[in-house]
Parts: sequence; structure tokens; C-alpha cells
Amino acid sequence: MTEIFSSLYGQNDAQGPPGSSALGFGPGKPPPPPTQNQVSMSVQIQHQLGDEGPALRKPGAMNEPFYLLREIPVGNELTGNTNLITHYSLEHAYNKFCGKKVKEKLSSFLPELPGMIDSPGSQDGSALRSLIEKPPVCGNSFSPLTGALLTGFRLHTGPLPEPYRLMHIQPPKKKSKHKHRHHRPQDPIPPETPSDSDHKKKKKKKDDDPDRKKKKKDKKKKKNRHSPDHPGLTGSQPNSSNSLR
Amino acid sequence: MAEKFDNLEEHLEKFVENIRQLGIIVSDFQPSSQTGLNQKLNFMITGLQDIEKCRQQLHDINVPLEAFEYIDQGRNPQLYTKECLERALAKNEQVKGKIDTMTKFKSLLISELGKVFPEEMARYKAIHGDDPPS
Repeated sequence: MTEIFSSLYGQNDAQGPPGSSALGFGPGKPPPPPTQNQVSMSVQIQHQLGDEGPALRKPGAMNEPFYLLREIPVGNELTGNTNLITHYSLEHAYNKFCGKKVKEKLSSFLPELPGMIDSPGSQDGSALRSLIEKPPVCGNSFSPLTGALLTGFRLHTGPLPEPYRLMHIQPPKKKSKHKHRHHRPQDPIPPETPSDSDHKKKKKKKDDDPDRKKKKKDKKKKKNRHSPDHPGLTGSQPNSSNSLR
Repeated sequence: MAEKFDNLEEHLEKFVENIRQLGIIVSDFQPSSQTGLNQKLNFMITGLQDIEKCRQQLHDINVPLEAFEYIDQGRNPQLYTKECLERALAKNEQVKGKIDTMTKFKSLLISELGKVFPEEMARYKAIHGDDPPS
């Protein structure tokens, strides 16, 4: 007997990890027969399943002839069946935003805000996303500037350099039929300082003005020629005057 | 609630107006404008102090990040509200459709099962009663 046992279990140390030898994975060794413990465990599991079968089922299904028939769950009062907009009293908001046409641009939402706000914030570094990703340093108190600190704000006289000049100019407003001009104090006047672009603009204006005046004069002359109330005709129009006489 | 927003809005408008006037002074600076410039700079600091005070009243206000994306693109943030309402309504209609379809299916299934398994369906109705239409 001891020889049998030793042949089965005695060579474990020489063969390697005990797990593999217990399972019989050693070379040339048949798998060990199931022990009595394992057999009893399987019987116990079956008994457990048989005895506790009803207990594993939900109480709602135990006493009913239909297997796995559950109780109907208590329904919510608020489901997708109700119109949630009327339920939360959002009709006014819905009509306001969805009934009318909402303008696309940010300047229509903030008409009094100066600057070019309709352009994307990523272009000039004014994006709110950057404020979230890199929040500014908070916690320091705001103290007014003293005389010594204000000396740092002594500026050179004269206009701003070219790249910084357009920052405060508002975008061109659409021409409205009813011209209500609300002049703000110290509105930015178009820069009078000499520059190439201004010269060109001024030249164009000068060229246009005499042309416009000539055109207006010509129109007036034509109107006067054809009007019956005109007192007399000049010599430049002999045919019409002669035909009447 | 609206008063807190009105207060903040007022302070922000004053602040922006002050900055705009500061920009005008700087755009064509003259030596006589120095005192005005200094005054505007101090107004800017007091404006920031006032806005800082408003912050305490609004600590429980949450703004959706998607609205920020609209602003960053130069679009009206009211479009975000509009799209939220439209999406909610569309989803509401979709779910209502599903509920209606499932209700019809249930009633049809019960009627057909009643034809094929009358005894079982009678027992089912006895257990659950006449289920009200959901």
C-alpha cells in the first residue's frame, strides 16, 4: 500500500510544482481517480439545486403556474408619452426660440459689444475654451494703481501702429431704412492720419464726387428738357421748339 | 435670481464701455490725455472689483460647455438653446412612438394568444387582472 501511495504521491518533489502532479500532468502518469471528497461535493451541489430551486426564483414567480412570470413594475407617471415641454411649462421658451428665426451671429445677441465678435475666438486668442483649459490666477486682490505704478503707463504721443489700429473699430452696420443714429460719446472717427490706404480712399472719393455732380447735372437737364412747365428752350434744342411753333 | 444677473450685466457693460473709451484714448494719445488714461485704468480696477463681488452671488450657476463652443465660433448661444429644445422634442416624439408601438403590440399579442391558448390566457388575466393600457 505504501508503495502504491508513494508511486502516486511520493514523486511529487522530483517532478515539479505540486499542482501539476496532483492533477496528474506529470509525464507518463495517468490522471488520478476522483477522490471521495469530490464525489460528495457534486452530490451536495445537486441537492442544493433541487432544494433551493424555488428560493432562487423571485418571490413574484414562485406561486404562479407561469415560469419566470414577474410582477408588472410600477410605472412612472412621467414617461415619453407626455409632452415634456408642456409638462415643464416651456411653451413660451419653445415659441421664442423655435417659432421665430434666431440670428446666427454673436453680434445679434450682443449688439452693444464693441469689436469684431463674429470671428472665431481661436483666431485672436479670445476663446473661452482657452480660459477653461488655462484658468487665470485668482485669489489676489485688486488694488488701485499708485502714482509710481502709473508711471509705467506713460505713452508716446501719436496714433497707434498699423496692426493695432483696427481693434476698437466696430463691424460695418447694415444700412437701415429708418436712420436712427445713436452717437456714442467719443465715437472712433476714421483715422485722419496720412497713410497709403487713406490716400487711396480720399482719391477715390474725390474722383467720384465730380463724376456724381456731372451725372446729377445731366439728369437735371434731361428732366428740364422734357417737362411741360419749362419756361423756354435754349438754342441747343431747335427741333422740338420749331415743331411746336 | 434675475436681479443677480442684472447686477452683473450692468457691471460688465460699464466695464466694457470703460475699456472701449480707454482704447479710444490710446488710439491717438496726447499728453493731455494722461490724467484721463490714469482715471480709466483705475476705473478698470474698480470694475474688476465689482465683478469679483458679483461672483459670490452666482457660485451655484452652471453653464453648459457646449454653449461656450457656440460663443467661441462667433455664433449666437441662443442657437444652442434652440437646438436643445428641438432635440428634446424629437426624442420625446421618438419615445412616444416606441411606447405607442409597444402598447399596440401588447394588446395584439394578448388577443392572439387568447385565441391560441385560451385557458392559459384566462389564468394570466386572473393573475394580473385586466392590465390597463400603459
